[in-house]
Amino acid sequence: MAAIKIQDLSYYYPETIKPALNRINLEIPEGQLLIIIGDSGSGKSTLLRVISGLIPAFYNGKLLGRVFLDGEDTVQMSRQEMVQKVGIVFQNPESQLVMNNVEQEIVFGLENLGLPNNLMKRRLMEMSTSLGLSEDLSQGVSQLSGGQKQKVALAGVMAMQPRILLLDEPTSQLDPVAAEEILNIIRRLNEDNGITVVMIEQRLERCCHLADRILLMENGLIAADINTGGRGRMWLQRAPLTYLPPLPNLFARAGFKELPLTVKQGRQMLNSLMADSSRASKPVPDTSIILGPAKGQELIDIQNLWFSYPDKEEVIKNVNLLIREGDFIALLGENGAGKTTLLKNINGLLKPSRGQIKLAGKDTRDLAIEEIAASVAYLSQDPNDYLFMPSVKEEILFTLRNFNIDNDSYAEEILKRFKLEAYRQCNPRDLSTGERQRVALASVLLGKTKVLLLDEPTRGLDYGLKQELGELLQEVNRQGTAVVMVTHDVDFAAEYAQDICLMFQGEIIERGNKYEVLQHSTYYTPQLGKLFNNIVDNVITMDRGVRVLSELAGFNEPEMASVL
Amino acid sequence: MEDGNKKMLAYQFKDNLIYKLHPLTSMIFVGVVFVLALIFSHPAFLLGLLIPVGVVLGAAGNLMQGRNYIKFSLIMVLTIVLINVLFSRAGTTIIYRGSEIPLIGALEISLEAILYGLGMGLRLLVIISVFCFYTYTVNPDKALRLCGRLGGKSVLAITLSLRLFPLMIKDFQRISEIQRCRGVKLSTGSLWQRAKNTLPIISIILLSSLERSLQLAESMQARGYGSGPRSSYDRDLWRPRDYIIIALSIIALLLGIWSALKGWSAYRYYPILEEISGLDCVLASFIAIILLLPAILNWGGKKWPL
Repeated sequence: MAAIKIQDLSYYYPETIKPALNRINLEIPEGQLLIIIGDSGSGKSTLLRVISGLIPAFYNGKLLGRVFLDGEDTVQMSRQEMVQKVGIVFQNPESQLVMNNVEQEIVFGLENLGLPNNLMKRRLMEMSTSLGLSEDLSQGVSQLSGGQKQKVALAGVMAMQPRILLLDEPTSQLDPVAAEEILNIIRRLNEDNGITVVMIEQRLERCCHLADRILLMENGLIAADINTGGRGRMWLQRAPLTYLPPLPNLFARAGFKELPLTVKQGRQMLNSLMADSSRASKPVPDTSIILGPAKGQELIDIQNLWFSYPDKEEVIKNVNLLIREGDFIALLGENGAGKTTLLKNINGLLKPSRGQIKLAGKDTRDLAIEEIAASVAYLSQDPNDYLFMPSVKEEILFTLRNFNIDNDSYAEEILKRFKLEAYRQCNPRDLSTGERQRVALASVLLGKTKVLLLDEPTRGLDYGLKQELGELLQEVNRQGTAVVMVTHDVDFAAEYAQDICLMFQGEIIERGNKYEVLQHSTYYTPQLGKLFNNIVDNVITMDRGVRVLSELAGFNEPEMASVL
Repeated sequence: MEDGNKKMLAYQFKDNLIYKLHPLTSMIFVGVVFVLALIFSHPAFLLGLLIPVGVVLGAAGNLMQGRNYIKFSLIMVLTIVLINVLFSRAGTTIIYRGSEIPLIGALEISLEAILYGLGMGLRLLVIISVFCFYTYTVNPDKALRLCGRLGGKSVLAITLSLRLFPLMIKDFQRISEIQRCRGVKLSTGSLWQRAKNTLPIISIILLSSLERSLQLAESMQARGYGSGPRSSYDRDLWRPRDYIIIALSIIALLLGIWSALKGWSAYRYYPILEEISGLDCVLASFIAIILLLPAILNWGGKKWPL
């Protein structure tokens, strides 16, 4: 019997005429791990909420069709039965935890079910042991990291012992290490306990090896239902290009029919190609790209910077960094390496403990934050922290007025530059994630902005949005603004930045051109770098990867162009 | 946010017997001392409360934290004494007679007035130190949970706001920083200008909090909140010492009430100081010894560990 069976399901949010879900039919057998992909607004989250019963109970609206869990119609189930059958974990760890401490949070659902004390203790013990939370039980929730919070949320749901686990982009707000840990737990729950898992996830490279089946949603419909069949990789060719992880994406663009999923598979394919094409000339490393464009004038000069928060250890240790006109620098490094602190020293939110930062020759200690802001723009992780005006245009005018520029035509120019004209009168908070980020970016960039600082700009973005953002940043960069971004996303950095700075425990360990820094490293290298390492030099970007690969395979250029 | 995790609470767990008491035990102890401090006016009895509270606070390892409280309360005591001395005319043993002062009249300082002020100050000290003890040694979450058995929904509301409050403070810090980088002037300009410039930040926080509370509500719904009668999770263990301390605290309370009814724990300062009898002192020290029990148990536990 199917764990989940959906029949002719349509759903309209209150006061809308366009269905969010349009006559969906779906059967999910017990124990399957299903991943749902799709653009924002395609109905992924809505589908999860219908399965969990939150629609219609929490959202109202018009629901047609039926949902069966283990053969039982959900209409006939009480809420208590429902929550013990299906558990749901949401995207944002911060806004799904109710209690102040870990232990209380895990038992919250059990209390709601009215379970006796000894049974709650037992469930708590099992959940905290299996998720490795025993040490943290007495911790306050606010002291946990994002990954730990998500683990607690998962524990709180699993303590109710549901047989079906729904996850709405559970790792999108987490750094790669924490994301990996959460996905591992999910894999274990699926494999060792036979829990049926339905997960929305944008970044397939993180999780497609776990999936039994991938569902692509578009406009409230199931556009593709791909059985990954025993976790092989034949399905990959049937998935649309925009949803493919970088590695299979590269091979697909180069015109290959068989696509690799892991670096190991990719290298095997590459090595056999090399052996075949040994008669032909090996691709010559392209040295021109290493040099990059000539650098302009000095904008920011960081000299012997040390920084520590009051009564704490030093976070920044003797950092020297020169930012010139036209630079596009990615700051990479693990959590707590001091990357964000360095950014905040540059934009004046923090003042150096020792050493100095010169902005166009002036010491930032002598400048007010607002003065620095006129030439140094800062975009933080969450676009919601910017948006409060009733329309996109007013949001942009607000910043302009802060700097005493009240120029309507200039605002229009910015709208055009960021492709936001269509949304001029929309409330920015009603836009999708990618659009909101563009509005936030548009609202910090002024004509005289010399340096743009970004903190984790790719968090929560899918491949398509990442590409859009990367191209936008390159565009901004070409117009003369230096870009400095902190990121965990090595693939993104490799694709769009010029220079890489590696930070470790408060120091800059290396700064150099991305080809020098990323090519031969083991961890801080993109998937493409791992693929071509020691086979072909200097391939870390998609364009060049496609060119080299099709050259090796003997596909000619026109054919490749059609794939692109 | 490296600097964001400053400790929000005064309560920090320490590994000793007093911290491991059941929260109800600590709360009963605090309650008994508080009630006795209000009904006692005899300095010997008040001292019989102050000494055990001070010792227990020390045994819990919080003397250092208590120091700030003591500084503050000594200033309060001094103020009380001063005001009482200046305004009270009821004492007979005049130790200083000064010149005419406007509003107050001729300055007369009597021994009774000074001692009365000190007596009131002593009571204040007891109350402040017992609150200090409560603040540092009782886990506020657990205390709230205990009340939760009585309150239900309203306690959940308090818990939620306690959870959201630190989040909102963090939001405020982060959004202020972000908006300053966007040219919003928060540190320069007139007070009115700055207040006006804070408005965007407040509205962002309101919008975000609204969205967040909707998500929280959804998460609560998904975990079955309100789907039936709730049970209450309790993991605090009851140890024999909890029973002993509760029993003796109640005995101290009854003893105190009995002394109050008999008039032993009352004291007359005016017009002339009442004599302090031996019986009063014995009774007061008896209550003091009873209330010292947590400290004694803590010391005994260290001396003869199980």
